[in-house]
Amino acid sequence: MEFGFSEEQREVQQLARKILSDRVTPATLSAYDEYQSPRLDRALWQQFATVGLIGVCIEQRYGGMGFGFMELALLIEEVGRSIAPVPAISHCVSTLLAIQRFGSEEMKEAMLPGAVAGEFLLTAALAEPLNEDPADPHTMTALIDGDSLVLSGTKTAVPFASQAQYILLAARTATGVAVVLLDPQATGVTLDQQRSTSFEPQCELLLDSVRVPLSSAITLTEGAGIMRWVGERSAAAICAHQLGATDCAMRMAASYTSERQQFGVPVATFQAVGHRMADCYVDVECLRLTTYQAVSLLASEVAATTEVQIAKIWAGDAGHRVSYACQHVHGGTGIDRDYPLWRYCLWLRHNEMTLGCSAAQQSALGARLAMGEALFN
Amino acid sequence: MNIQFTREQLTLRDELRAYFAGLMTPALTAECERDMGEGGGPLWRDALRQMGNDGWIGVGWPEAWGGRGMTPLEQFIFVEEIMRAGYPFPFLTTESVGPILAEHGNDWIKRELVPKILKGEVLIAIGYSEPDAGTDLASLKTSAVRDGDEWVINGQKMWTSLAHFCDYTWLAVRTDPGAAKKHKGISMFLVPNSDPGWSCAPVQTLGGVRTNATFYDNIRVSNDYLVGELHGGWKLITGQLNRERLSLINFGPISELFNQVVHWASAAQMPAGGRVIDQSWVQQNLGRCRALIECMKLIVYKQSWAMTEEVLDMADASAAKVYGSEGFIEVYRMLGEIVGQAGLLRPGCPQATAEASKIERLYRTASIITFGGGANEIQRDIISAAGLWMPRASR
Repeated sequence: MEFGFSEEQREVQQLARKILSDRVTPATLSAYDEYQSPRLDRALWQQFATVGLIGVCIEQRYGGMGFGFMELALLIEEVGRSIAPVPAISHCVSTLLAIQRFGSEEMKEAMLPGAVAGEFLLTAALAEPLNEDPADPHTMTALIDGDSLVLSGTKTAVPFASQAQYILLAARTATGVAVVLLDPQATGVTLDQQRSTSFEPQCELLLDSVRVPLSSAITLTEGAGIMRWVGERSAAAICAHQLGATDCAMRMAASYTSERQQFGVPVATFQAVGHRMADCYVDVECLRLTTYQAVSLLASEVAATTEVQIAKIWAGDAGHRVSYACQHVHGGTGIDRDYPLWRYCLWLRHNEMTLGCSAAQQSALGARLAMGEALFN
Repeated sequence: MNIQFTREQLTLRDELRAYFAGLMTPALTAECERDMGEGGGPLWRDALRQMGNDGWIGVGWPEAWGGRGMTPLEQFIFVEEIMRAGYPFPFLTTESVGPILAEHGNDWIKRELVPKILKGEVLIAIGYSEPDAGTDLASLKTSAVRDGDEWVINGQKMWTSLAHFCDYTWLAVRTDPGAAKKHKGISMFLVPNSDPGWSCAPVQTLGGVRTNATFYDNIRVSNDYLVGELHGGWKLITGQLNRERLSLINFGPISELFNQVVHWASAAQMPAGGRVIDQSWVQQNLGRCRALIECMKLIVYKQSWAMTEEVLDMADASAAKVYGSEGFIEVYRMLGEIVGQAGLLRPGCPQATAEASKIERLYRTASIITFGGGANEIQRDIISAAGLWMPRASR
């Protein structure tokens, strides 16, 4: 059991933190408020590519750094800490990892080196309306017709869909679940822009008899297992992002209340304020430990369904509580758009609700306990 | 970062589980339940000596002390497993005061007492609180006055738990009434409970657990019984309390109770059909408890790792205490909701089941550690100051 970071992990953290603290500021973030422009800093993303961070978890023969999922999660924690406008989760976790683990050699050679170099973007469509289980698509269906798959249906809240070259998605077939890389330029694809709370570029994806060559399929039948693998890593990545964001919001509130004076003393010296922040500290620590546990198990390809569900419960609960506590102790300043906290609150909400909220995760965990799974050993 | 036990640690855990399965005879289990999870009975004492002789109590202690030389993490696995087995382990003696004595005790204490702690032969109660000194502990009045080569101790302590079957009291006394800051005039003594000037009166609590008021009437001890520096007791108290806070949060028994309730709810059929666990609200409660207890586990594992690496953080120790003590109460409530009316039946009631009546009792005892071991308000003060660098109001 090791709770410390390795040399490589510290290097990834420090490299990411250095770049992000230089390049992401309230001023740069303000350019994307209210969807003035797509929330994607291409120059920053290119810098990630140049120093190798996009491929931190991709094998060296495809141009990556060859580290593991833990290192990638630490990078995403830093992206969360700065709420940087980069597609780290959708590109690096939901799509690149899936291709590296399950794609054919041909697909890996076609996709990974370019994606790692930042030449094009990839994303994944994990949610359908009223269905947040990536492994169990219903609305999206596929039929085999000659050397094509014919896809019809809807995916929702697809991040960076308008910017991506390919979209990974799962569709129900007569015999199982297919997973394909979809070219959004194909005939029959409609991308409807969605305006989301966090200002993340998102689309509703509507497919009407879209033909995809069979060579673009990762599987025609075994998609449920693949998408569970992808879904758990994506959920763990959201938890890591939430960890960075909650930690930053909490420290912002701690330092603000230490400076802000009322009745002639810093408001931090009131126990009611200090204790509210202490509760944030405990919440963030719980999110940290459950996230690192889930990530470290996933990194060693150990079954971690229970641990991911628990981490996501904490990501939702801690995110919600930290957001409101931090807004509250700031007074009006916390919600003033000239002060940086408000954008964090949007992302804490985004992460809370993406890939299963706390109540849904608790319910799923409870159902597994009722089936005799997930007990303490 | 790798949050999994090593193969060796898992082997140790299995070995301990098998060992405790053998140690916990039905007679010993019955005695422990009778003593409300406190211990102190004859079979309990025999079992403690047995563990000492078998070399388990000091599994994470250096070999020079008679330990096995493993790390605090292995020590933690030992305590977790013994508590899971239902044995009320005297962790205040072994995990909290013991290490302070080993570090700060004089030659006599190191030679005579510490090895006996690891042998399961010596038990120590903690004498800090007084009728007028609780959270403001440094205002304590019990005194030790030098008389020739001896010290004369007089005063009264409150909430001296376990004292009625312990051999010594780890006693905080005022040795310098004129100190400019009141916490600079405190020293620590080990007082033999066998002294004729030592007496105790029981205090019965809501949970049925006995604690004590203890009285110190002209007790005379030599300098051997002073621990650490004269007037330097405060540092030892805070060091002990840091360790105590960790020992209080043990996730072994609560994870075992959780599993028992899941098994019960999976088997119990409702009159109208279906299992108790098939109800959606039961699954919600179980999901919440599962997530809450998991985090308790991770917090204590991290602390044990931090002790091994000697990077224990004051804010994290307080966070563990706040989270664990308040989490226990929530879990007892939510598991109690699942067993329903049966969770109101006292142990020994003919209709009571083992799990449900355990919850009945635990729910009544759970407030102790939100204020015991340092009130959670003080812990939150420590967290905001040491963890978030927020300024504190002067007191």
